[in-house]
Amino acid sequence: MTIAPQDFFPQIADWVANLDDIFPGKQIKPWFAQWEVGHILSLIILGGTSILLNLRLIGVGLTDEPPSELHRNLRGWMWAGVLGIVTTGLLIGSANAERLYTSEAFTAKMIGLVAGIILTFSVTLPATKNDGALGPVSRIFGILGLAIFLGGVGMFLQAKLSNPGLWHVISAAALIVLFAARGLTRIIYLGVMLAMIAAQQVMTHIVVKADDYAHLDPVNKGFAWAFVAVILLTAVISAVASGRGREASPLTKGLAFAAILVWVMTAAAGRWLAFA
Amino acid sequence: MIRDFLVWMAKFGKGPGEYDPSWSDLLASSLNFWGLLEGTHVLSLMLFAGTIFIVDARLLGLVFKKTPVSVVSDRILPLTVFGMIIMVATGAALVFAKPLLYYHNVWFRLKVVFLIAAFINIVVMHYRLQWNMAEWDALPKPPAKIQISAFISVACWILVITFGRFIAYDWYNCGKPLPAWANAIEECKTSADGALDLKGNPL
Repeated sequence: MTIAPQDFFPQIADWVANLDDIFPGKQIKPWFAQWEVGHILSLIILGGTSILLNLRLIGVGLTDEPPSELHRNLRGWMWAGVLGIVTTGLLIGSANAERLYTSEAFTAKMIGLVAGIILTFSVTLPATKNDGALGPVSRIFGILGLAIFLGGVGMFLQAKLSNPGLWHVISAAALIVLFAARGLTRIIYLGVMLAMIAAQQVMTHIVVKADDYAHLDPVNKGFAWAFVAVILLTAVISAVASGRGREASPLTKGLAFAAILVWVMTAAAGRWLAFA
Repeated sequence: MIRDFLVWMAKFGKGPGEYDPSWSDLLASSLNFWGLLEGTHVLSLMLFAGTIFIVDARLLGLVFKKTPVSVVSDRILPLTVFGMIIMVATGAALVFAKPLLYYHNVWFRLKVVFLIAAFINIVVMHYRLQWNMAEWDALPKPPAKIQISAFISVACWILVITFGRFIAYDWYNCGKPLPAWANAIEECKTSADGALDLKGNPL
């Protein structure tokens, strides 16, 4: 049993097989690369605005201005990014439907997309609009978005040959925490991370041979969980104890953290579609 | 001369045996590492290009009109530079993995041209245009010359991204029947796949 869309929706196989022969897939196909560029540019706009807005909630970046000023200036760009990525995604997806239908990474990508939209419109935009304050309905949707995001991570983890793409999410999380942590917390965190990276290199290049995949896989997965534990522990310490981003509560900061990572995961799953 | 260097790079670390891989071969054929490098190169666009576009939008007078340009630059550009370091490091490693493939690729050559143009624009902006920044720092719309430079920046990066994506497509790969201009630009005659005219005749 795999977790590709074909395993959940086998009844639509014939429809999917014909999608690139009918509108709009048929028209998009000759211009696939150009539409892909549109997809990447939309991702860049969405990524840039998501990073700046959510980092501001965490207390990093354009901290000279209140979050509401960032919201006023960037909300239109963020909308453009989301609409652009969904529109171009649907179009290039219709021209490449069979490939996506049989891809496990695509399932993770779609779950990430749903979680990304929920977190963007229930956390990022409302929290920045209200200078860090998040109402009860937004909190409920935010937690729902977080749960779906974690479900997407679980799916990505199960996606054979694509799941190394989760290292992108772990790396992004590590960098965000590095930006957000302060003082001694940051120094200790950086030291621990560098020591763990060195240990991973020793384990996967010297202790275990580079072509011994049967042993490399569990070692790398073990390190992945260890990195996640250190990152999350430091994130919690920074969110609760740090003086940064005083406008937002620790819960809002945590959701803002997830609201960046969810787009990284969605993009990573999309990229690893090509490798699996 | 450049090609000679890339040939040396492609063979660097190769053992004495005919089929011993070079370091470049090992990187290109790695199970996951090449994918992680390529994925990181693409994903860090969100950080690099996503933030530089917003700084350029401020210089064009499109966003943060009430915030001084210096504040936007000081707070956002460190993120951009961090993204650029990741992009350059991963980009260099990707070229190291397949140096000759990229050398004989028209899209890669165009990408490099606009990368150089973008960096020249940064230097011009930094050293020639921003000398009187204090006079226009707080203006909603900076002077025309600054806006032109910001527009060139956005255009260059969009072209760099576009041509970067096109590298993955084999439309103009050496060894395929190609128009004369493509064979000339890509120096296909010196490539391992050779040069063919549009009728399929070797050149």
